[in-house]
Amino acid sequence: MKSFKTLGLAAALMISGASLATAQTALEGGQEVDMVLLPKFLGILVFDQANEGAQEAHAELENPGDLLFVGPTPENSVAGQIEIMTTSATQGQGAVMLSNNAGDQIAPAAQAAQEAGTRVVTWDSPIPGGEGEDVFVAQVDFGSIGVVMADMAHSILGGEGQMAVLSATPDAANQNAWIASMQEVLAADEKYAGIELVDIVYGDDQAEVSYNRALSLVDQYPDLGVIMSPTTVGIQAASKAMQDEGLCDQVKVSGLGLPSEMVSYTMNGCAPEFALWDFRDLGYLTYYTAYGLATGQLVGEIGESFTAGRMGDYTIEEDPGRPGAKRILMGPFTVYTAENVEAAAQ
Amino acid sequence: MLRLMDRLNPQVLRILALLAVLVAVILFFAAVVPNYLNGRLFNRVSSSVAIMALIATAQTLVIITRNIDLSIGSTVGFVAFATGSLITNNPDLGPVVLVLYAMALGAVFGAINGLLVAFARVPSIIVTLGTMALFRSALVEYSDSKSISTANLPEWLVSFPNTVLWQWGQMQFRAAFVAAVVVVLIVHVALSRLRAARRLYAIGSNPEAAEMAGIDTRKTVFVAFVLAGALAGLGGFMFLARFGTITVVAGLGFELKSVAAAVVGGVNIFGGSGTVIGALIGAILVDLIDTSLVRWQMVSEFWREAVLGILILLSVAADALLMRRLVAARAAREHRKAEERIARELAAQAQGPAP
Repeated sequence: MKSFKTLGLAAALMISGASLATAQTALEGGQEVDMVLLPKFLGILVFDQANEGAQEAHAELENPGDLLFVGPTPENSVAGQIEIMTTSATQGQGAVMLSNNAGDQIAPAAQAAQEAGTRVVTWDSPIPGGEGEDVFVAQVDFGSIGVVMADMAHSILGGEGQMAVLSATPDAANQNAWIASMQEVLAADEKYAGIELVDIVYGDDQAEVSYNRALSLVDQYPDLGVIMSPTTVGIQAASKAMQDEGLCDQVKVSGLGLPSEMVSYTMNGCAPEFALWDFRDLGYLTYYTAYGLATGQLVGEIGESFTAGRMGDYTIEEDPGRPGAKRILMGPFTVYTAENVEAAAQ
Repeated sequence: MLRLMDRLNPQVLRILALLAVLVAVILFFAAVVPNYLNGRLFNRVSSSVAIMALIATAQTLVIITRNIDLSIGSTVGFVAFATGSLITNNPDLGPVVLVLYAMALGAVFGAINGLLVAFARVPSIIVTLGTMALFRSALVEYSDSKSISTANLPEWLVSFPNTVLWQWGQMQFRAAFVAAVVVVLIVHVALSRLRAARRLYAIGSNPEAAEMAGIDTRKTVFVAFVLAGALAGLGGFMFLARFGTITVVAGLGFELKSVAAAVVGGVNIFGGSGTVIGALIGAILVDLIDTSLVRWQMVSEFWREAVLGILILLSVAADALLMRRLVAARAAREHRKAEERIARELAAQAQGPAP
C-alpha cells in the first residue's frame, strides 16, 4: 500500500513539475513541422509583411519543415479559405495560421482539421465563435482599438461633431469587433458626448467601392466631420476621394492605415491622424505560437507562458471579447501624425 | 406624338424607354432621400460611370455576337496594375504611350479569349470563366503583393479624371466622363455605319445564316474579343487614373456589373441586337441605383445587393413592357391603317365598275 502512495505522490509531483515547466516555456528550435500561413486573400501588402515576419521566425527556429504562404484569390476568399483549411488537414500540416475572412462558416473545417491533428492558430481576424480555434494572436487589445479610434475622432473633431465609419466587409470579424468596441467607448465616457456616430457603411476592401461609399457619406451628412475607416484599403480610398473632391477642409479621414500609403494624405491634412501595428511582428509572434503548439511544447491552456524570440514573453489568456476563447495579446500600436509618418513611410 | 413614334426605329424607342425609367428612378429617390437632387449627384454618378461605361461597351461588343466575357474584370485589374507599374518605373512616359500600352495589353487578353472561343470552339462562358481566374491569379503573381500607390504616379495622370472641362451650375463635366462618352459615341457610330461592324449583329442573330452569307464567323468573333479587350484595357487605364491605388482586387466584380449594365441597357443576352448607347444608359442606371441606395436609410447594408437586384429586374421588366406596348401599339395602328386602306380600295373597286 505504502509503495502505491509513494507512486501517487511521485506522479502528483511530476504533474505539478510539468505544469511548472510549461508556465514559462523557452521554445526549442530545430523540430520538423510543416505549417501554413493563410491570409484573408493574396496580394495585400500587410499580409505579405506578416509573411515576412513568419519567415523570419521560421529561419530563427531552424525548422527543417516547410512554411507555406497560401491564400485564396480575392474573389474567392471565403470558399477558398475553407478549402485551404480542409486541404491542409488532409496533408497533415502541423498548424494552420489563419487570418479569418469567413466568419463562423470556417468553424466546421477548422474543427475537422483539429481532429486530424492540425493546430489552428488565428491572427489578425479570429473565428468569431472561437470554435475550431486553438488560440488567437491578437495584434492589439480589441477594446483598446475602440479607445484609440474614439480618441483620434475626438482630437480631429475638437470634441464635437459627426463621425461615420467606413469598414471592410459586413462580416469581417476583426473590423466588426473594433467598431463595436468604439461604440461602447463612445457611449460609456462623458468625454465623447459631443461625438455623434451617424452611420456605418462597408467598402468591401475594394478601392472603387470604398471611394464611392465615402463620397455618399459626405452627400448624405452635410455636417460630417470625420470618416473613420478601420481598414487600410478604406482609409486610403476615402482620403483620395476627399482630396479629389476638394473636401479635405470639411471632412477628415482617420482609422487604421499603412504609413507608406498614407504619408501624402497626412502631410496635406486630409488624414491628420491614423494608427496601426506592425504586421511583421504579428506574423513573427503567430509563427512562434503555432510552432510551440504544433511541436507539443505548448498545450494551449490559459496561463501558459512562452518566450517568442526577439519579442519577449507572452501568455495565453482568456479573450475578453469572446467568452470561452483564448488569445495572446501582442500590442501596442502606433498613432501616426505629420510628425512621425514620414520616418515610418521609408 | 404617335406619328412621331411610328417614324422612330425600335432601338431609339428602347433608349427613350430607358430614359423614362432613369427619370422615374431619380424622381423616386428624390422623394425618399433628403437633399438628393443637385449638381453633386451628377458629378458623383458621371465620374463613377466613366469607367463602367467603357467596360459595358466592351461587354456589349461581345454579347452582340452571342458570347460573353466574364474575364473582363480581371483584365481591367491586370491592365490597371501593369500600366501603373510601367509609369511608376518610367515616370517620363507620355499619355499617348501609356494609353496605347493599356489598350494593347487588354487586346492581348482579349485575343487569348478570342482564340479559345472562335478557333478552339469552346463556349465563351466556359473560356472566360477560366480566364477570369487565370488573369486574376496572374495579377496576384505579377503584383508580388505590392500595390501601386498614388504617390508614385505623375501629376497629369492623377489629375486627369477630375479636370473640369466645363461647368453648368453645380454640374461639372469632367475629363474622364467626357472621354468615356466620346469613346462610346465613336463605337456607336462604327457599329451602326460600318459594314464590317454589322457582321457582329449578323453572327449574333443567326450564326448559320451569317456563315452561309459568306461571313468569316471565326475571324469576326475573334476580332470582337480583341476589341473588347482593348476597350477593357482603356477602362483599366481610367481605373488607374481615378483611384491611383491599385491592389489585386482592382476590377473585382466588374464582369457582372458590365453584363448588368448591358442587359439593363437593352442589349439582348442572346446576341444580335442592342446598342452601346443603351449600355451606357444601363451603366448610368445601375450606378445611380447603387449610389442612391447607400443614401436610402430604409435599406440596410445587408439588403442593398438584394434591392439592387430587384430594381434591376424591375427596370428590365418595365423597359420590356414599355417596349412591347409601344411596338404593339404601332403594329395595331399599322394594322388599322392597312385595314382602312383595304376597305377604301374595296369600296373603290365596288364603286368602280357600277356605272
